[in-house]
Amino acid sequence: MVNDFCRFLSKISIIIIGIIIIIPILSGFFGFFFPSFNYFPILGKEEFSLNYFYISMNIPGIYKSIILSIFTGLVSTVLALFFSQIILLYFFKTKFYYYIKIIITPLIALPHITMAIGLIFLLSPSGLLLRSISPWLTGFDRPPNSYIFPDEYGFFLILGLMLKEIPFIILVSLSALKEFSATKIFDLGKSLQHSSFSTWFILIFPIIYKKIRLVVFIIIAFSSSVVDMSLLLAPSTPSTLSVRILQIFQSSNIESFFIASNLSLIQLLVIITLFIFWFVLEKIVKLQYFYIFFLKITSFKSQFFKFVILCFGVSLFLLSFIGIISSILWGFSEKWYFPNFFPNDLNIDSFLSFYNQNESLIFISIFIPLIVSLLSSFLTIIWVELLDYLNVKKTQFEWIIFIPLFIPQISFLIGMQSFIIFFNFNSFLMPLIFVQLFYVIPYCFIILAPAIREVKSDYIKIASSLGINRIERLLKIKIPLVFPSLLTSFAIGVIVSFSLYVPVYFIGAGRVTTLTVEALNLALSGSKQDLGIATFFQIFFPILLLLTITLINRKTIKWKI
Amino acid sequence: MYLKLANNLTKVSFKIFFICMFSIISTISNATGKKKDWEIKTREVSGQTIFFHAWGGAKNINSYIKWASDEVKKRYNITVKHVKVSDTANVVARILSEKTVKRDNNGAVDLVWINGENFSVMKKNNMLLTGYWIKDLPNSKYLDFDNNPSLLNDFGISTEGMEMPWGVSQLNFYYDSKYIEYPPRSAIELKDYITKNKGRFTFPQPPDFTGTSFLKQILVELIDDKSLLKSEYVIHKHKNTLNPLWKWLDQTTPYFWREGKNYPPNYLALTELVAEREIDIGMAFNIAHASNAISERKLPKTVRSYIHKDGTLANVHFLAIPYNSGKKTASKIFVNFLISPEAQLKKQDKNFWGDPSVISVEKLDKEWKNKFSILPRGIATLSNKELTMKLEEPHPSWVKAIEEGWIEKYGSNN
Repeated sequence: MVNDFCRFLSKISIIIIGIIIIIPILSGFFGFFFPSFNYFPILGKEEFSLNYFYISMNIPGIYKSIILSIFTGLVSTVLALFFSQIILLYFFKTKFYYYIKIIITPLIALPHITMAIGLIFLLSPSGLLLRSISPWLTGFDRPPNSYIFPDEYGFFLILGLMLKEIPFIILVSLSALKEFSATKIFDLGKSLQHSSFSTWFILIFPIIYKKIRLVVFIIIAFSSSVVDMSLLLAPSTPSTLSVRILQIFQSSNIESFFIASNLSLIQLLVIITLFIFWFVLEKIVKLQYFYIFFLKITSFKSQFFKFVILCFGVSLFLLSFIGIISSILWGFSEKWYFPNFFPNDLNIDSFLSFYNQNESLIFISIFIPLIVSLLSSFLTIIWVELLDYLNVKKTQFEWIIFIPLFIPQISFLIGMQSFIIFFNFNSFLMPLIFVQLFYVIPYCFIILAPAIREVKSDYIKIASSLGINRIERLLKIKIPLVFPSLLTSFAIGVIVSFSLYVPVYFIGAGRVTTLTVEALNLALSGSKQDLGIATFFQIFFPILLLLTITLINRKTIKWKI
Repeated sequence: MYLKLANNLTKVSFKIFFICMFSIISTISNATGKKKDWEIKTREVSGQTIFFHAWGGAKNINSYIKWASDEVKKRYNITVKHVKVSDTANVVARILSEKTVKRDNNGAVDLVWINGENFSVMKKNNMLLTGYWIKDLPNSKYLDFDNNPSLLNDFGISTEGMEMPWGVSQLNFYYDSKYIEYPPRSAIELKDYITKNKGRFTFPQPPDFTGTSFLKQILVELIDDKSLLKSEYVIHKHKNTLNPLWKWLDQTTPYFWREGKNYPPNYLALTELVAEREIDIGMAFNIAHASNAISERKLPKTVRSYIHKDGTLANVHFLAIPYNSGKKTASKIFVNFLISPEAQLKKQDKNFWGDPSVISVEKLDKEWKNKFSILPRGIATLSNKELTMKLEEPHPSWVKAIEEGWIEKYGSNN
């Protein structure tokens, strides 16, 4: 009787959680879908029509923006995938292999925007790179009048996206590599007289790819609709589609809301097109002929080629590190005019004044991620446990959780925002935390859920035979067993939430801002000093968090299975 | 339940009583009544929080607003939260959508820093508190509304007392006198300068406020019949009026910074570019901008300001209360403080903001007169005499025409 009631209760809660997840996703989607067809009764539009498609398509330069978005999204994903594998394969079976994770972890922890800022400090005409060779080599006593950065075609946006995605792909590939005997396959390939390169790409990469496919699609969706990085690195006449949407949305008439919604739908279509293209690409690569062709062109064992690619890969890493270090240096410097390689003066005055003026901003920027990530990990555990209790074996429907990652952030939030105004929340913090959950839960879920589900049923059986109830089993056996995963999921959750830009911009509506939003504003207003300090905080907290987590991990894990 | 009801009832009846009393008193003695009314109001709103939506891009302005907020907190126990907006059009759009969904009270915005096109949109859509409220504020007596029509006109549109003047701005340019002897002082001279110094001039990308204003400045200088700009832009009548501007841009754009294929996002970004000597000339609406940047060590000490020979665009910026603010009285009290001699003096102080005051010094008593007269001007700030040549802002409707034209011709083709 009691048991029946419990089952009923958990069924109800599963349904409630499902509704809580699905309704906002639907409202976020319909919030831009219907307005783009001229239908939004709240704002007095009740007739379906296609006139906004016509208007959108007649916006000057919109085709260029769309092509730019497609181009940057696609090229950056392909290149990031390529270079991540190159780096892995050349370090595979060397003693450096174990250090890769340590090197890439801080890079993953950085917000996207920090990477972009690092590139600006390094590569702009007055950046560190040109300073290092001016005036003694170049003869420049002032920044050259050149049109290099940002470029017309979005190459720097691609570079920025790549720098951020490579470490991410390496990380997921590393955990994929653990799941099968890669070493054996690698040795087998080598024994068949293949080069490391072709061994990797023909024998090992397909296995990795199967396991990281979801991540690749997430990256495609993200990089073809990124807003914050585009604002800094993309060309501005015209910019990418996502930036155009933002600009149009910022206009002061209601009409522009409908145009922005329509463009949001187009942005979603862009992503769907890219997905279809990618499916076709996958099919082509799977063809036998392609394998043979690939084998032919990669069977060489040129040391030179290896060297060049590796150098390129390593210099990519160096780029991001140097850029970020120089941006922090700016935070502590004064009168650092071109072409000086070092600042004339170093002090912490501006650092302190920034801190004093933005204390609450810094606090809230840390507070939100902690809460969001805690909630996400908690909800994931509850969800998995409830499904386990109800003995639900088919979990395919869980892909719903990942939907927010495939819908462009800007589209989703434009949709969401119209509902939030309608509901008239007085607090801006709660809706923001709620919306952030949708972006954080998928990451927590992808790390935590498999870990919990893979806890050996033997332990659970023994425990239950000893009369230990479900809750105790969860707290005393499952959670301690998956504790490392729980910590990782928490850390990743914090990092993801910490670097979110679009949700804070839209839902926070200026009343709640975070360091990421503030850093972007500073970057746009050209205040290099404050930007450097903001960057410092943006790096400091994620890294502090990672260090703490590693430490806790070492201290608490006494036994492993 | 009943207790609460009774409590509320007494409160309401007290309020009605007071309102009746004061309406009676005020008819008897308007002046003293107003004053007492004001005092009671300030007591009533103690403890309230208002959201002041104001552009938050400049550090010195933000710290000035912070100072003013701290002061009203101390004096009236009103908490002012500065919502740092990046584009005031956003705020207008937000209030407009609130109005459309009929959220007619307790809107998100209690006070907004505004002028020009954004004001005209808000006025047209009845989104502002009306009723000449600005004259109810005790400190409005320091503003010379009678002799200074610009205080009641926003880009040629009558404010009808819906917005309180807060400060005066004028488009001005700056350059490093160490490297440039004579900066170009007109649209024609500037064109010469740009074509001779490839890649050393740019302006913030429209629809940025300063960027669009720069285009307006050029248009005003080049156009034969300036009176055309005072009327509303009508596409079939005025399309060719913009041609001098497009011609000027056709000739100069290839010589801009980054060949005119990329533009800085706002006027603050220009500061950095001038400091690094990527470009030669910067521009701002705040006449003390260059001086501020020098004292913040963002620009070298040799930087100086200048304006064009025929003058530059000048305008007043205002504070307005949205119709659906739930804290109108508290907002008024904050506005009243912002136009007090004390707050205006601090605003004009180059160490804080350097924005010229809107109050008439003649209307002040001796002590304050003196304080205003001894206020030092920044090293790169022009004197009032040098700033006398002022150009009138075109009708707000021209902004959109210029912006859209520019985006179509130069902002989306590269």
